[in-house]
Amino acid sequence: MSRPVDRRRFAALLAGSAAAGAVAASRGEASIRVGEVVNSGELPAREASWYRKLEANRVECQLCPQSCKVADAERGTCGVRENRGGTYFTLVHSLACSVHADPIEKKPFFHVMPGELALSYAAAGCNVECKFCQNWEISQFRPEQVRSLYLPPEALVSMAKGAKARLTAATYSEPVVFWEYVRDAAEAARKAGLAATVVSNGFIQETPLKEVLPLLRAVKVDLKSFRDTFYRDQVRGRLEPVLKSLEVIRGAGVWLEIVVLVIPTLNDSETEIRDLARWVKTNLGREVPVHFTRFHPTYRLTDLPPTPVATLERAWSVARAEGLDFAYLGNVPGHPGESTRCPACDAILVKRLGFTVLDNRLVDGACPDCHRTIPGVWR
Amino acid sequence: MSVRLTRRELAALLGGAVVSGAGASPESAGFPIRRPGVVGVAKLAPDESGATSRERALPPMTSALLAATGATDVGSAVRGLFRPSDVVGIKLNCLGGRRLSPRPEVVEALVAVLEQGGVERRRIILFDRSSRELERAGFAVRRAGDGPLCFGTDNDYESRPTESGSIGSCFARLVTETCTALVGFGVVKDHDLAGVSASLKNWYGVIHNPNKYHDNQCDPYVADVVRHPIIADKLRLTVLDGVTAQCQGGPAYRPDGVFPLARLAVTTDPVAADLWAWRVIDAERVRRGMPTLEAAGRPPRFVATAARAGLGIGDPARLEEVDA
Repeated sequence: MSRPVDRRRFAALLAGSAAAGAVAASRGEASIRVGEVVNSGELPAREASWYRKLEANRVECQLCPQSCKVADAERGTCGVRENRGGTYFTLVHSLACSVHADPIEKKPFFHVMPGELALSYAAAGCNVECKFCQNWEISQFRPEQVRSLYLPPEALVSMAKGAKARLTAATYSEPVVFWEYVRDAAEAARKAGLAATVVSNGFIQETPLKEVLPLLRAVKVDLKSFRDTFYRDQVRGRLEPVLKSLEVIRGAGVWLEIVVLVIPTLNDSETEIRDLARWVKTNLGREVPVHFTRFHPTYRLTDLPPTPVATLERAWSVARAEGLDFAYLGNVPGHPGESTRCPACDAILVKRLGFTVLDNRLVDGACPDCHRTIPGVWR
Repeated sequence: MSVRLTRRELAALLGGAVVSGAGASPESAGFPIRRPGVVGVAKLAPDESGATSRERALPPMTSALLAATGATDVGSAVRGLFRPSDVVGIKLNCLGGRRLSPRPEVVEALVAVLEQGGVERRRIILFDRSSRELERAGFAVRRAGDGPLCFGTDNDYESRPTESGSIGSCFARLVTETCTALVGFGVVKDHDLAGVSASLKNWYGVIHNPNKYHDNQCDPYVADVVRHPIIADKLRLTVLDGVTAQCQGGPAYRPDGVFPLARLAVTTDPVAADLWAWRVIDAERVRRGMPTLEAAGRPPRFVATAARAGLGIGDPARLEEVDA
């Protein structure tokens, strides 16, 4: 997982940007300087964009399918949205608990500007609780429990430019819970000529998703299983809303990639992988990349071994046999399944080693050998 | 991964009473004193200005403690609950701010009683999940000095989560490492989701992720938090400040939901404490012509779950309210 941002490094990245030293002007943030570390003190709060008021100062969150009904002074499941006297606030707008310039391959996006950097950021919190969460130290804590930086959208964009990143990526924790920040950062990125991307669990209501999609160039969704029981037992979520989100993203014309973390005994059966691949092909299209990545024991799931490579290879083979054009292996550096092959002539088009692009033979988004167009966001 | 069984859970599984039965004397109960189902209740009304004081709270605190423990004097009661070497953590519930949190002067009365019984002030720590909430409720944060110390656990949690039933949480290190004995000190109030927030629900404040455990009326999560050995093995006493209580609109303070209960409750049974709170909240709701919590669709179901886990008495028929 990405460590919380280092102050010295942050200062170096921010140095020279127009945002450095600027004082936030918006209400509630007037005393906080850009780049300032915000601890457990008073958090800047902004009214949430997606909720409705109920009787007796209660509210119903309309951001994610948890649809939390929240009493006064309480928070939703995410832990980052709070009812204050009948008005619902997000406590994490512009509060980044992790910031790092990562290769886009780390997200992973394999069909989005190979080899480019994405200024990746996160705020604390998550709307589900995966027992296998790799980033639980930020996703499963409330904002006052982690160290965060005040980093409004314009400063984020300045930081990206300073790092020579052509993309931004809302990632690490769960962008759905800081969706207003994602929206505003994506808008700022677009104005600056950067491509905004999101790495999400897809557990979001349709309205907020549709409102932000036009600002995004690409979305990666973690499809954690193709079984609702898994979602309920291991994730504290549900499968159906995630499938709906995948269809909405695809329908909006935003580039989509899917990651499936394959966990021994829990979601690794051939039947489940086959069902998943068939659904993707039928409902999203064969050209949607699906990454099968390796599980490592962590958080509350420490009694299972890392996924055997053979299990991943079996999933990879099943997906390809079912007709998906772009199946990948993840978290197995050096495996041939990391590279992009032409679905027509099988030539290697983008050769990768871990997050590093060793060779990119694409020419204007097409195979140089057979001229087959390869779908993606290549520039 | 499941937690190991506590002695109490093992006893429950074997079919015996968790500890000695209701009404048992402290002598027969061993150490620490356990009197399942017994709640000592004393009157504690504020003065005409609505205020109270440590001196005013001291007699009812003492008598309620004696009623709860069955002891004949403060020394016996306190020694039956705490060892001189104990570091006693008193978990307050300050979410409701100054108007619906344990009153500092009532808490001071408990500290005085403990001190009278041989617990040194410097070995007492008043705490809640954040220093900010403590201050908002009128407590002065003290991290050093003669005691009692008073501060929030804030971000100081265990680095790894541990499992207990359906929950997986990092517990506050103050509870896991520093305190050897615990006291729950809550208020009597309605809770929008759980039904009641008085005794057991108060312990949500020692885990890093309480927001994950509010669905299904917080059941079985409330019981799962408290039955973790980190809490269950250390919890000796529960005190409820019922000078002012709230029968609707909780957990936040709501003016039209509060009422002057003018009671102080003390018990060694954290489940019975919630049963008692449930009873008085329902009584006020009925008096106002409101539906009971059960009729309103949010009975505190975690009470029965906690009883099944061996944490105390969940059967209303076995609740023994002893007027002090």
